[in-house]
Amino acid sequence: MATAEASSGSTKKLQVRRYKPEERAEKNYLNAEKGIWSWLTTLDHKRIGLLYLAGISLFFAVGGILALLVRMELWTPGPTLGFLTADGYNQLFTLHGAIMIFLFLVPSVPAVLGNFVMPIQIGAKDVAFPRLNLMSWYLYMAGALGTIYVIIAGGIDTGWTFYTPYSSSTGGAVTAMTFGVFIIGFSSILTGVNFITTIHKMRAPGLTWGKLPLFCWGLYATSIIQILATPVLAITLLLVGMERILGIGIFDPALGGDPVLYQHFFWFYSHPAVYIMIVPGFGIVSEVVSTFSKKTVFGYWAIALSSLAIAFIGFLVWGHHMFTSGQASLASTVFSFLTFLVGIPTGIKMFNWLATMHKGSIALKTPLLYVLGFFFLFLIGGLTGIVLATIALDIHLHDTYYVVAHFHFVMVGGMVMALLAGLHYWWPKMFGKMYNETLAKIAAGLILLGFNVTFLPQFVMGAQGMPRRYYNYLEQFTYYHQVSTVGAFILGAGFLLVLGYLVHSLFRGKKAGANPWGSRAMEWQIASPAPPHNFEHTPVVIHGPYDYHRPMEDFQLGLIQSENGHSEHQGAEIASDTDEVKAEE
Amino acid sequence: MANHSSATHVQHHFVDSEQQFDSAKMGMWIFLVTEVLFFGGLFAAYIIYRAWYPELFTLASEELNTLWGGVNTIVLIGSSLTVAMAIKSAQLNQIRNISINLGITIALACVFMVIKYFEYTHKFHLGIFPGEFYTYEGINHPKANIFFSLYYLMTGLHGIHVLVGIGLMIWLLIKASKGAFNSEYYTPVEITGLYWHLVDIIWIFLFPLFYLID
Amino acid sequence: MSGHHISTDKILLSVAGALFVLTILTVAVHYLALPHPWSIIVAMTVAVMKASLVALFFMNLYWDARFNSMLFIASILFLALLVGLSMLDTLFRIDPTPGF
Repeated sequence: MATAEASSGSTKKLQVRRYKPEERAEKNYLNAEKGIWSWLTTLDHKRIGLLYLAGISLFFAVGGILALLVRMELWTPGPTLGFLTADGYNQLFTLHGAIMIFLFLVPSVPAVLGNFVMPIQIGAKDVAFPRLNLMSWYLYMAGALGTIYVIIAGGIDTGWTFYTPYSSSTGGAVTAMTFGVFIIGFSSILTGVNFITTIHKMRAPGLTWGKLPLFCWGLYATSIIQILATPVLAITLLLVGMERILGIGIFDPALGGDPVLYQHFFWFYSHPAVYIMIVPGFGIVSEVVSTFSKKTVFGYWAIALSSLAIAFIGFLVWGHHMFTSGQASLASTVFSFLTFLVGIPTGIKMFNWLATMHKGSIALKTPLLYVLGFFFLFLIGGLTGIVLATIALDIHLHDTYYVVAHFHFVMVGGMVMALLAGLHYWWPKMFGKMYNETLAKIAAGLILLGFNVTFLPQFVMGAQGMPRRYYNYLEQFTYYHQVSTVGAFILGAGFLLVLGYLVHSLFRGKKAGANPWGSRAMEWQIASPAPPHNFEHTPVVIHGPYDYHRPMEDFQLGLIQSENGHSEHQGAEIASDTDEVKAEE
Repeated sequence: MANHSSATHVQHHFVDSEQQFDSAKMGMWIFLVTEVLFFGGLFAAYIIYRAWYPELFTLASEELNTLWGGVNTIVLIGSSLTVAMAIKSAQLNQIRNISINLGITIALACVFMVIKYFEYTHKFHLGIFPGEFYTYEGINHPKANIFFSLYYLMTGLHGIHVLVGIGLMIWLLIKASKGAFNSEYYTPVEITGLYWHLVDIIWIFLFPLFYLID
Repeated sequence: MSGHHISTDKILLSVAGALFVLTILTVAVHYLALPHPWSIIVAMTVAVMKASLVALFFMNLYWDARFNSMLFIASILFLALLVGLSMLDTLFRIDPTPGF
């Protein structure tokens, strides 16, 4: 084994041996305790991840059905669905947006895959605060219940952006909705607190920041955004509630307030929120690209630090949502310039991922298919974002379907593709079963086809002036809308197929071993499904997680247990700053 | 630093007591970051409106009683001192002093709330209510209600945080009197103390911003 | 890394004393009615000093892991971003709030 000089970082001598994982664990986290009560009171991060999976799947379905209703209404230029009035239509798109963003996209990757995978990837037995983790889920479900209540109590028609003064003065269940989102915000914040502390404090011996998996770097950057941005949303929503109940007048011009101030506060959260949604997806892409190219990630530090750069710059650009709001032109100019900057770190990632695949040993499995789709669709989404960042262009494109297409490309074409990639990648670890690869590829094809058919026409009609959030429209856009609606149903069929074969795999899928993909990452060095406490030993890390030149045994090291279950501390030198280690076994 | 993980307070996913304590502290500091940003939104609104209507703030601030605001500041600083003393008592295994210091902290916090209660009722008496319920005629500015809306929002939210702190400390007091805390384990006292100090810091800024405007 | 620094009575009481003095000072300065903008500058400077004393010596940041200090400073910096960039708009409008 190669050696290196220990640097000035602290070195400890540790005695290690190889811990070969069982292929399949008879006792795993799924069957360790039985009964629904054990699930509802679980402190196991893996079970909590699955609880979230149930929640976000349900709300994705609800949001998806709302989307299909919207698209059906837009089949003809005039009223289409007999039961749907213009007000009803406003409620449909408002709820579609609010549910998809707050109940699906924001929690999805961190709460499901982050919760499940991250502690295992860093060699920990759980997150730092398991009880807070469970509380996060309950807060999420409470906020979700609030949303159900809102739907029943007359709905909201303000758009998911709740702009004042309409939101502070209109009827409907706005106050209840803001309260529901407030609660979900707490869920998001607690997840952020948990992840930052876990990644700082609970890494296995030898796991320096330079060996941290890029998925964890992505979650870390996301958590930073969550804790800095979400509280501002919380206070903004609280203020809207106060405006409605007490007539505070901070955002209402009739009472002396400023509606644009609301937009500043709202977008201070909601722009970084889009990075909360996408940065974990970037992390998944790094993992999948490396595993299915059997190659180390090109430019590890560039990708790691670009996540932090995106997190930071993302806080400087919110005014690009407000170019037409009456904002001072000085502010608009500054925001436009800063928005151009935020594309740079993302571009760096794209190039690094492609370089990773170059001359790799490519396995074209479903996760990688979704990642390839991600590259294409997120690229379009990102570039059209730069178009919208240009003030002169945005004056025409603001509040048109161009914007709608842009954010669906980045959110669905980017984030949902990444989520599906991650779900398919980690499915064997979560359930110990493999899904049907052929059906999976067909579904991926349907989704990618359906997505493009739905949203590409929207760029065109947006540029031609079709406004967003409109119930009726001019005759000239009929063809585009109809193509888009057809695409939406193809997309829906693809998602249904995914649901079908994944659920089928739970009951009839082929059993999966510990490491079906041959990855070097830590979560693949334990049995499938994962054991209840992840590791019985303390894992020791001596290489970064993408080093395919090293044999698999190098990634299965752990401290030697003594008689009483405590680990001994003698033997190998581990340098904290270099990637190579001298190990004496 | 080989603390046995068989000590009862160390949770199974932590290696030792040290890791658990440091994690709890870091977690609380991250939460305090969210509190800063939460209140920060209101401070931002304050700054923006004061920049727009400076004369309003000067006029309206005269309705606030500087003396009682100052007394409240002293009271809250005192409570920060006593909660720091409570932590020190725990660190030095002076078990009874933990309860005494926590008790004094709670008492001072209650004094704060009582003074606030009198301040608020005095204003209500004059017709100074938040938002659209404002009826006071005594200030010669059309947007006077905005100043007081901000006043009630910010001091009100702060007051809610004080009440939550009182609740937490009563819980701590009960546990302390049952001997739950000592030099080996006093983490809840430490992190509640951190929360309480932030509540104090927020008041340190609220006081000059509302009561000391010239 | 020791997170268990034990402050002496002397330190805690001295810091509390300094905080009381600064409070009295800032109230006294208020009655001097300094010209604008000095009144707000002095008031905020004193407030920052008091907050720093509380953060460093009551919240133990002086002896604690550096990361916790960085967290606290970061929160203030991002708050400054919220205020600063918003004021790039609010200070430079032609008409502050829409007339009604």
